[in-house]
Amino acid sequence: MAGFITKRILFGILTIFVVSVVAFLLVRLMPGSPGAIVLGLGATDDEILAYDTSIGWHDPLAVQYLTWLGEALRGNFGVSLLDGRQVNADIAARLPVTFSLALAGTVMSAVVGVLLGVIAAVRGGVVDRIVNAFSALGAAIPGFWIGIVFVFVFSVQTGLLPATGYVPFAQDPALWLQSLILPVATLALGGAAFVARQTRASMIDALAQDHMRTLRATAMPEWRIRYVHALRYASLPIVAGVGLQFIALFGGSVIIEQIFAMPGLGQSIQGAAASNDAPLVLGIVVTTTVVVVIVNLLLELSNRFLDPKLRTS
Amino acid sequence: MTLLSPQSLAADAAAQPVLEVENLVIRYGRPTRRPTGPAAVDGVSFTIRPGETLGLVGESGSGKTTIGKAILGLQAVTSGSIRFEGQQIDGLKPKARRVLATKLRAVFQDPYSSLNPRLSIGDSLAEPLLVSGVRREEALLRAEDMLEQVGLPRDAVTRLPRQFSGGQRQRIAVARALITRPSLVVCDEPVSALDLSTQAQVLNLLADLRDELGLSYLFIAHDMAVVRMLAQRVIVLYRGQVMEEGSTAAVMDDARHPFTQALLAASPVPDPIAQAERRRLRESRLVDGASASSISATGCPFAARCPMATELCRTERPALRPAAASLAACHYA
Amino acid sequence: MTTRNDSTVAIATAPPRTVRPSRLRAIRRSLSTPGGIFGISWLLLIVVASFTAPLWSPYGPNEQTGSVALAGPSAAHWLGTDDLGRDVLTRIFTAGADAIATSALGAAVALAVAIPLALWAASRGRGTETVINRVTEIAMSIPVIIIMLTVVGIVGTNLPLIMVILGLVISTGMYRVLLGQAKSLQSQLYVDAAFVDGLTAPRVSGRHVLPGLTTTIMVQFALVFSIGLMIQTGLAFIGFGPPVPAPSWGGMIQNASTHIYDAPWLMVPTGVVLILTVFAANSIGDALSGPREKAPVRSNTRSLRARRAAASAGNTEPTGSSPVAAPSATEPALSVQGLHVGLDDGTTLVSDVSFAVSAGRVLGLVGESGCGKTLTSLSLIGLLPTSVATTAGSILWNGRDIAALSEQELFRVRGREIAFIAQEPMRALDPMFSIGSQLTGAVQRLRSVPKREAGAIATALLEQVGIVDAARVLTSYPHEISGGMAQRVAIAIALAGRPRLLIADEPTTSLDVTVQAEILSLLRQIIAEEGMTMVMVTHDLGVVADICDDVAVMYAGQIVETGAVRSVLLEPAHPYTKALLGADPHATGAGGPKRRLVSIPGQVPAPRDWPSSCRFAQRCDFATAACSGSVPLTPRPSGAGLSRCIRAEELFARPTSSLPAHAAALKEQVD
Ligand SMILES: Nc1ncnc2c1ncn2[C@@H]1O[C@H](COP(=O)(O)OP(=O)(O)OP(=O)(O)O)[C@@H](O)[C@H]1O
Ligand code: SF4
Ligand code: SF4
Ligand SMILES: [Mg+2]
Repeated sequence: MAGFITKRILFGILTIFVVSVVAFLLVRLMPGSPGAIVLGLGATDDEILAYDTSIGWHDPLAVQYLTWLGEALRGNFGVSLLDGRQVNADIAARLPVTFSLALAGTVMSAVVGVLLGVIAAVRGGVVDRIVNAFSALGAAIPGFWIGIVFVFVFSVQTGLLPATGYVPFAQDPALWLQSLILPVATLALGGAAFVARQTRASMIDALAQDHMRTLRATAMPEWRIRYVHALRYASLPIVAGVGLQFIALFGGSVIIEQIFAMPGLGQSIQGAAASNDAPLVLGIVVTTTVVVVIVNLLLELSNRFLDPKLRTS
Repeated sequence: MTLLSPQSLAADAAAQPVLEVENLVIRYGRPTRRPTGPAAVDGVSFTIRPGETLGLVGESGSGKTTIGKAILGLQAVTSGSIRFEGQQIDGLKPKARRVLATKLRAVFQDPYSSLNPRLSIGDSLAEPLLVSGVRREEALLRAEDMLEQVGLPRDAVTRLPRQFSGGQRQRIAVARALITRPSLVVCDEPVSALDLSTQAQVLNLLADLRDELGLSYLFIAHDMAVVRMLAQRVIVLYRGQVMEEGSTAAVMDDARHPFTQALLAASPVPDPIAQAERRRLRESRLVDGASASSISATGCPFAARCPMATELCRTERPALRPAAASLAACHYA
Repeated sequence: MTTRNDSTVAIATAPPRTVRPSRLRAIRRSLSTPGGIFGISWLLLIVVASFTAPLWSPYGPNEQTGSVALAGPSAAHWLGTDDLGRDVLTRIFTAGADAIATSALGAAVALAVAIPLALWAASRGRGTETVINRVTEIAMSIPVIIIMLTVVGIVGTNLPLIMVILGLVISTGMYRVLLGQAKSLQSQLYVDAAFVDGLTAPRVSGRHVLPGLTTTIMVQFALVFSIGLMIQTGLAFIGFGPPVPAPSWGGMIQNASTHIYDAPWLMVPTGVVLILTVFAANSIGDALSGPREKAPVRSNTRSLRARRAAASAGNTEPTGSSPVAAPSATEPALSVQGLHVGLDDGTTLVSDVSFAVSAGRVLGLVGESGCGKTLTSLSLIGLLPTSVATTAGSILWNGRDIAALSEQELFRVRGREIAFIAQEPMRALDPMFSIGSQLTGAVQRLRSVPKREAGAIATALLEQVGIVDAARVLTSYPHEISGGMAQRVAIAIALAGRPRLLIADEPTTSLDVTVQAEILSLLRQIIAEEGMTMVMVTHDLGVVADICDDVAVMYAGQIVETGAVRSVLLEPAHPYTKALLGADPHATGAGGPKRRLVSIPGQVPAPRDWPSSCRFAQRCDFATAACSGSVPLTPRPSGAGLSRCIRAEELFARPTSSLPAHAAALKEQVD
């Protein structure tokens, strides 16, 4: 077990390293040098060259990468080319917003999706068809569209919830919660559709397993067969699906944040990509990768825990 | 090498075994690294002469299929050698192997997965011929002839496997194996997936074709009685090692090795009176099958289950040596 | 030699079907479901309407028509106008072709990368696969949209280029899906057979693995298409779409969102078209992957009853039409009469099965695969699969009719009075729970004892079934024990409720003969100890000879012969029983490599093909014109029991001299 964890952690570190190298090379391909961006249109070529040379832009790539890596390992991703702010400060302020959005979206997807999937598999018939229709529709509706519809219905028309904006938890927990409801619901719609579909298939498969008959033959009550034994059997693929969903929602929030004016990483990388702000893009890509690697590690661990075959080997 | 006259060459070939397996060892594991797992096949040697059927019996996991796959080039050999008609064939490059494809053929266990469900019977049968350079029309014609020979209608060439029952598919598999006029066919449990009545059909067919075409079979099965229907000689395998070897009559009627005896005694006969007698005999012997305890690396592999095991058995591995009319690997055979 | 022509006959009698191997046909068939038809038509509509827009639309896509801006639907502008007074309908459809073409481009790129990679990894084995897997795992560690934003930063808003890169990025996920399937195809025996044929690895992949992936590939194409569409509209929505004024769906929704206060309608047309397009692609994918497994409707007892009543009302054969074999003088403990089991669609799978088992005796149900043994045995404990039910007949157990019991009543019978042992011991145990929890749980439920006591009973039960280290086995999981051990555990679970009747469905078929012998001995001993009655399903006449007192031979859903094992196996009174014995290589008698087996020509007919004549007539050596009517069970010519053959008397009535007669009969048929 310990050996397994060590191996996974080492692989995670390798992943982050490889991604950082690739991303470092990629952002170099962005048009415009830092000097050109920082100094603006009025600068002469000489001024730009001088600036670029001063920050090592014309050093060998390997040297530049190692310099960046050295700083990054100390938690310093450099400064944004646009506003000169510390990239790590920017990320530190924004990560919690995106993270709580994705986490809350995943939890809601999981709760709603598992519930619907289990009901569909267990009840069958009309209920099953309704859940199927929901997951087909949920998978086809883009978040940015339904988000706006939610705003129209719940803020513009009824005024029940704030249309946009984010209130930090520390400032007012009640308002924080309120400000999260619509974005999270938007994220969770597609997520719940996906999880419901996955759960339904896994539950149907589980209920058709031979060992269910052994349980029935020994007079186990039907509810226990369904909600303890079948659900337990189905839990492996369901958990894997929910984990994937977190990663997808972490990415998906990039667009949702824009609709609800949430100050998250999405807003930031969007601006950075538009203005070729290389240090910021690089910082966000690496941070995101770290989050995903950690989530994957947790998933592997939960898999180890859930699957007796892995647990006992 | 000396020059030989054509006559002496021919005589030589007649005497030469079709297949010689020597000290074969196979371990599973990553091919890139040194395979280290326990040996699935552990020092197995045997030969098959032209026209002869050799039966290979053993329990599940005893390494029967692995041996068959190694001969067919589907499984890497860890050590030892396999010679086919005098030529070393283990570790052969795919290109060199191709020449063998017409002479060394196979019938597999599961008739449902051994035919590609998306290819017509004709396409499946023609495949080995096309590889060896036969024209397509001729290959299809030969496929039709071959189908007739295994008792299926000629127009079966245009049909798909799903239109045939298990027994019929196994006939098709036999046709596919024999269409290239091979000298050796590896039959890996060819009837174990079939019902009693169809099993008899296929066994009879295999026997008839062998006699007609002078084939050699390596006939792999877990059921002694099925092997008895076809094989002249039998090898009994246990955990990758040969326990007993000899003529079918000698091994079946006068088994010397305790494992062979256990295997024979355990298989029930459909005669209640005879079976009651057999059961009494078996239960008095008490062969322990449930304790799948690990085998000692040095001793007899069967020691943990053997009713006759002694200290010697647990410390020293018995060699295969003559016992009555057969060879047995047992200190007390 | 009759053997060779057996199946020629069988094929000739089967209706000639002319199915040509055609993958395209299968795909066309799966696409002609409602979902598939909708999906294809919708995508076609968009593409056609998009290219023909200049022909049918009076407006240009970017033309500021001069009509009122932000207007709702009208005769002039069916879907209204946007903030610059441009016609929404024209803009939506003009943007359609690009959206669809570039999404398809992305999907095509993903496939072009993923297919060769998956085929290669599957054919190369573990080493290569691990390397590729690791690389894709790294690539999948960044959310797609983040990668795409970075890409946009580099290449700008060149849509086709962006979609090509997206295809590359997504190909990693597609590789994963394809790899799983390619590996399972690669492990098929026909791939081995192709290598034996002398095909090279790339040709094997191309000819035997790739065609099997067709459906998955198309499903994945549809899936990646809709992901691509979502992502490109999403990018356009946040401002990385085609430059203005060119229309794009994402851009139009973005534009609409700024007018959510003054013109909410504007959200509807583009949104609905986008949703329908994604939905169309998903529907095509769903249609291609075949009919989705329906969640079985759990029938409550009342509907089951109604079904049963309806079925028996329509059933012309009177219940219990055949006499019941009473092999021993004592009152039977279990008596099955006129049992019919059928599918929901009306197909009969088991018809008119009657037998009786006296207390303490073992009845063998024997026959070839598909003849209804398992369904008969499952109906004895009310555990038939969901779409199957007993449609007529009674199963009397200690004076109660199991077939008529409600689910609640059955609940009290299962495990406590009647227990079940399944064929595959490994699959009969729950892989997720320890053996201790499964066994102890059953004991607690069935004996109503506290947990601690149940644990002690569980240990005792394991010892009773011959497991020496019970303590260790209790803490093990099913995958940690051998098949024989698992079957012992399954028997212990069956014994947990001290049942009086044990139903075993091929309990030894998946085991090695040595282990089978032990399990049979164990069952024999337990039955004797506990005084239980048993119904043993098997296809092995040797197992019948070993453990059964009475036997019922089944063929095509019917019992064809029943009686005491000694008389049925030694002096069969039905051509099928006799032929089975002749085909059994284990039958004692003169052995030797040259002996031929009796083979029964043809094969067991499927339930839908059961003839109205004697069901064995097609394969029977003794069939005459008289066999074309329905054949009842009649008393066997010698010994107790019944036989379903009108010629039984004439064929099998011989002086009862035990063994030689049977050997002679066999010999006669061989020659
Ligand atoms: N691909 C594999 N990887 C690792 N071990 C394997 C593999 N295939 C087989 N083995 C192991 O090798 C041993 C011999 O297997 P093999 O399939 O050759 O036996 P067998 O006698 O043919 O069994 P059966 O009668 O069940 O077909 C077994 O212990 C088996 O678990
Ligand atoms: S060597 Fe010993 S343990 Fe092995 S089979 Fe012979 S008697 Fe049994
Ligand atoms: S009734 Fe006729 S066809 Fe049927 S088994 Fe008897 S003899 Fe054969
Ligand atoms: Mg095998």
